[in-house]
Amino acid sequence: MRTQYRLGIDAGGTFTDFILADKKGGTRIFKVLSTPTEPTKAIKNGLALITEETGLTAQEIVSNSDLCINGTTVGLNALITHTGAKTGLIATKGHEDSIEIRLGHKEDGYRYDPDYPPATMLVPRHLRKGVSERVISDGSVKTPINEEDVRDACRYFIAEGVESVAISFVWSVLHPEHENRAAEIVREMMPDVRLTVGSQLYPQVREYTRTSTAIVNAYLAPILQRYVEAIDAYFRELGSQHPVRYFQSNGGLALGKVVSDQSVYAINSGPASAPQAALDVAEPWGDKNIITCDMGGTSFDITLTKDGQANVNKNIDFLRYRIGIPMIQVETLGAGGGSIGWIDSMGLMQMGPQSAGSEPGPACYGQGGENPTTTDANLVLGYLNADGLVGGRLPLDVDKARGAIKTKLADPLGISVEKAAYGMFTIVNNNMVNAIRRVSVERGYDPRDFVLMGAGGATGAHITALAREMGISKVLISKLASGLCAYGQIISDVKYNYMAPAPIRLEGAEAAKKLDNLFNSLEARGKVDLAGDGFSEERISIRRSLDMRYVGQVHECTVEIDPFEVTEATIEDIKAAFHARHKELYTYDEPHNAVEIVNVESTIAGHVDKPERMKIGAGKGAHETLKGTRPMVFNADGIAQDTPVYDGSLMGAGDTLHGPAVIEEVTTTIVVEPGWTVNLHDSGVYVLTADAATEQGQAESRKELAEA
Amino acid sequence: MAKRQVDPITLSVVRGVLETTQREMTLALEKTARSSVFNLAHDYSTALFNHTPEMILQGQDIPIHLGSLIPAMKSVAGFFEGDIHEGDLILHNDPAYGGSHIIDTCMYYPVFYEGELVFWTVCKGHLTDIGGPVPAGYNPEAKEIFAEGLRIPPIKLWDKGVPRNDIMNMLLTNMRARRDQEGDFNALIGACQVGARNLIALMDKYGKDTVQECIAELLDMANAHMNGLIAQVPDGTYSGTAVLEDAGHGFGDFDITATVTIKGDSCHIEIESPPQVPYFINSYEGNSYSGVYLGLMMFAQLPPPYNEGLYRNVTVDMGKKGTLCNAQSPAPHMNCTTTPMETLTDAVRLAFEQAAPDKVSASWGHANGCNIAGWDSRHDEEYVTMVLASIISGAGATASQDGWHACGPECCFGALTSGDIEMLEHSYPIIIHEYGLMEDSGGAGKFRGGSGTRWAVEPLDTDMTLVTFGEGRRIPAMGAAGAKSEMVHKKVGRLEITRDGETQIITDNVIETIKPGEIAANLNPGGGGFGNPFERDPLKVVEDVRNGLVSIEGARLDYGVVIADADTLSIDEDATAKARAAA
Repeated sequence: MRTQYRLGIDAGGTFTDFILADKKGGTRIFKVLSTPTEPTKAIKNGLALITEETGLTAQEIVSNSDLCINGTTVGLNALITHTGAKTGLIATKGHEDSIEIRLGHKEDGYRYDPDYPPATMLVPRHLRKGVSERVISDGSVKTPINEEDVRDACRYFIAEGVESVAISFVWSVLHPEHENRAAEIVREMMPDVRLTVGSQLYPQVREYTRTSTAIVNAYLAPILQRYVEAIDAYFRELGSQHPVRYFQSNGGLALGKVVSDQSVYAINSGPASAPQAALDVAEPWGDKNIITCDMGGTSFDITLTKDGQANVNKNIDFLRYRIGIPMIQVETLGAGGGSIGWIDSMGLMQMGPQSAGSEPGPACYGQGGENPTTTDANLVLGYLNADGLVGGRLPLDVDKARGAIKTKLADPLGISVEKAAYGMFTIVNNNMVNAIRRVSVERGYDPRDFVLMGAGGATGAHITALAREMGISKVLISKLASGLCAYGQIISDVKYNYMAPAPIRLEGAEAAKKLDNLFNSLEARGKVDLAGDGFSEERISIRRSLDMRYVGQVHECTVEIDPFEVTEATIEDIKAAFHARHKELYTYDEPHNAVEIVNVESTIAGHVDKPERMKIGAGKGAHETLKGTRPMVFNADGIAQDTPVYDGSLMGAGDTLHGPAVIEEVTTTIVVEPGWTVNLHDSGVYVLTADAATEQGQAESRKELAEA
Repeated sequence: MAKRQVDPITLSVVRGVLETTQREMTLALEKTARSSVFNLAHDYSTALFNHTPEMILQGQDIPIHLGSLIPAMKSVAGFFEGDIHEGDLILHNDPAYGGSHIIDTCMYYPVFYEGELVFWTVCKGHLTDIGGPVPAGYNPEAKEIFAEGLRIPPIKLWDKGVPRNDIMNMLLTNMRARRDQEGDFNALIGACQVGARNLIALMDKYGKDTVQECIAELLDMANAHMNGLIAQVPDGTYSGTAVLEDAGHGFGDFDITATVTIKGDSCHIEIESPPQVPYFINSYEGNSYSGVYLGLMMFAQLPPPYNEGLYRNVTVDMGKKGTLCNAQSPAPHMNCTTTPMETLTDAVRLAFEQAAPDKVSASWGHANGCNIAGWDSRHDEEYVTMVLASIISGAGATASQDGWHACGPECCFGALTSGDIEMLEHSYPIIIHEYGLMEDSGGAGKFRGGSGTRWAVEPLDTDMTLVTFGEGRRIPAMGAAGAKSEMVHKKVGRLEITRDGETQIITDNVIETIKPGEIAANLNPGGGGFGNPFERDPLKVVEDVRNGLVSIEGARLDYGVVIADADTLSIDEDATAKARAAA
């Protein structure tokens, strides 16, 4: 840390979380309501809250802090509400429509739905202008660029009041000169417009992905620019000594200039810091295979790290727009505390994705909500304290919860309210398990080899049940869990991605040399960029990835390697890594067949010093923190048993207890199912371990139960 | 309520696991397959069957594959009855055993649990070649199925766990682009394994009997759901006739008629079609099931999951043996998954439009695509593929919205993906000059049909064989609820070949040689409109004109909207009122 404090601000949809860490291991979380239309207002409110609770003034904090901001919602909201900038596209003539054709596909799940609308075009067809030019698949020019076409497009854009322009030509990645020339013309004719050039933003093979990524970027760039300028100015006023760093969806920090130029990197950054936080929380145990679940009011976000590396997605549809750049894989499910239980047209009970939100909220909030939600089920099961969430600020009405479950679910299905509640709990957990498979099984990983990490306020009620379902025997929940993502930001590195197309068959010395040069040139650029932000060579680390496939395949699988010299000999190591990954993912490999590369990427990180780890004092034994007991249901039979409730805020290091139990923390409740033991570590982390004997017993009892 | 003693919670969980299983099979197929038809185009399907075998989950893939998997699975299981063992793996493509067309190859993997056959995991995929005289299988000259490629009756690829390499070698020896076909076979097998792995884990967890009970219940529930929809339709007999255009075979246009009889909660569908012809548009019974079920789904509009329970109260009579929709050997059939299937679907859809006028959407653009083949001098190897990007038509409008652009053809209903054009140019020695939406191609209506696409290709440096298939080049996609178009010639597909500055328009199925410097453009029809086009909001028409989806002439002729100024696109209100009143 360059300064006395590090302040992280995570502007989420509902709450803006503040995390303030000092050099001595003191780390505190503060929460205020978000102010999406006026982002600096929430920051101001947050700083005022910190002043109130710590006595430090805003100036004292800011002038002595490294600042990290996650402004994810600004870009995200613009994309959700289609309120980005008026954008024009300059494309290769004949290919103006690829973003509207969308590969000719309608999303699965809506096959026969007559009302499912097409994706809203961020650039309507009349603002997509074709230019006569063509590069072909070997990088040679088939048709030179017609500059007059570019000028015509600019004239139309000027007349239409276009604020942001994207340029994306076919095969520009192999021959960027045409795009570069078009960019010069646009800058000349439209000096004030924001400009995104496809081959610079996302230099990878795949025209549709590149064009779509460039358009999303162009659409959001003016919005992000305004945001960054407002934030930077605000903190300068408060006397900040260092530039503010912004969090990106690639899991790293970046300077404001980078975020406004490459705004597409900011769109789903909210949950992208979870892997980094999880690795940090798990460090005392050396766990590097971690699945992190973050459950809030409306959604459930899952991320995964394997061997300390987070899963990364490339070329995915996000909010129905194809985005190519590497993003931390975040699997999001409409399963939160507010998710509604209902009976579908076939007569099956379902949970979500509809949510009661915070208005009217779950039935038990007593704000007029009539639908039974996950929170209602957890309350009826006894997991939640009726005195209320958030330290008693929000009392819960058990009768309303029971009433909603009875009317909407239990009576129609002919079962008891408790059974229905346990059913809701089971189904929502099962939905989560299926989503967890998407980050694990679908990536070729066995979830049983992972530790489960709880994040967010609502995860604690489900965490042992999820672990049980997945066959996971170790769970970690930090006292910072409800603000884990904000914590992740302040311990994250600055990170940039450098990409290049590399259609190379992986054979021979020449291919090796080509690949080696390519990586070296990408990384040289990265080092220059990081040096500009004050990172010396020894603070810089490199991670390489290659998108590879067997010749003839069309989809690639991504293989990550360390930055070794690529030679004819080490090519064999790269191939071996590919065969192994293919087998891991798809049950087979074809070692006798030729392998090719399509795209390569280097991730360059500049290491930031981390604040001291949190440390808590020794406890006097968990029994000292026992608040009382509550009847709770831990079985499909719906029969409740009296279960101890502990006050987590009073627990200290070394305190140990056994399930069934509930630990009530200020911002979260941890349900410890029978068969689990909890130990509070001196780093403020609850370690939940499945008792070995019960692991087998559980499987059998479930089987018996199901058969009975 | 549940008839069985099935716990409703376990039921929901089992349902979720089945869907996850199917999803993971699909992903495995997509990511590993070789041919662009498979992995760029999603021209594959996966399904799960129980031991009886009844389809317990149909993937959300290509509609043309899935109906036919039902009779095919039964036929294959019947063929090997008493001889199905753990570790067997069965391959099949022959329409005489319920297959669709022989280039769609099916893999059936029996899943055993505690020594007992409990499930089948099944995949079907469109290979790029199946042998025979014409690359990619579509041979418009074929008079018999034997001239189209290799017929594979049910055979064991694995026998009690032992791969029969001799059989695989025999198959691959008879196919072009061996490496791709081998890779695609591996992908199909891999997907079946992925499915089996999940089902076994499910039974480990809940026990075989519980899982089977739940599945029986899910089938009953789907059945009850469809029955409920049918019961809402007034009892009676409804009939629809759709016309299959002569795509150059010279036998003339054909009528296909569907008669739907609704009685309470059951439905009987009777198909009448002309005698089979010595041209590749005959549909064997299995394939015709797909066409009928798709027409039914256009009425039912159900969300997933899909299983065979849906069809339990739906009986189908495909008409006399030896007819176009109930063909028998040796009828040539390669085109059947699009033609006549889409016309068959239209006939069923039309019958349901009479029965439930407010529930049915317009027809989608029919398939009218290209296969390409030749020599790739970049790697000194032959290439052959069906180009799905050449087949993308417009979707039909519905009672609530305009049809999707570029989402068809009807037989695929949006399940295809056409592939990135750079990936296509990387994989094959071609230059795609154009892949865009076409002005005036969407059927006129209060809700407009989706636009069709124009796909123009030039070979890179060697001659290319171009084989076309399908129709929809003269008869546009059928509108619904009174939709009709004036500019019909803009709504249909065709092939345009430009050589030495001259463009030749072709509306028949042909085999053409295209040289470097020549361009072949394949135009795909738009979708049908819904409702009277003269009731479309004039401002919406103007927006379409601004976006180049409707021309100024189209606005006037198709929609009765007269635009006064081509620059500002202002409407001549009086002329518009007059034009609309005159209709």
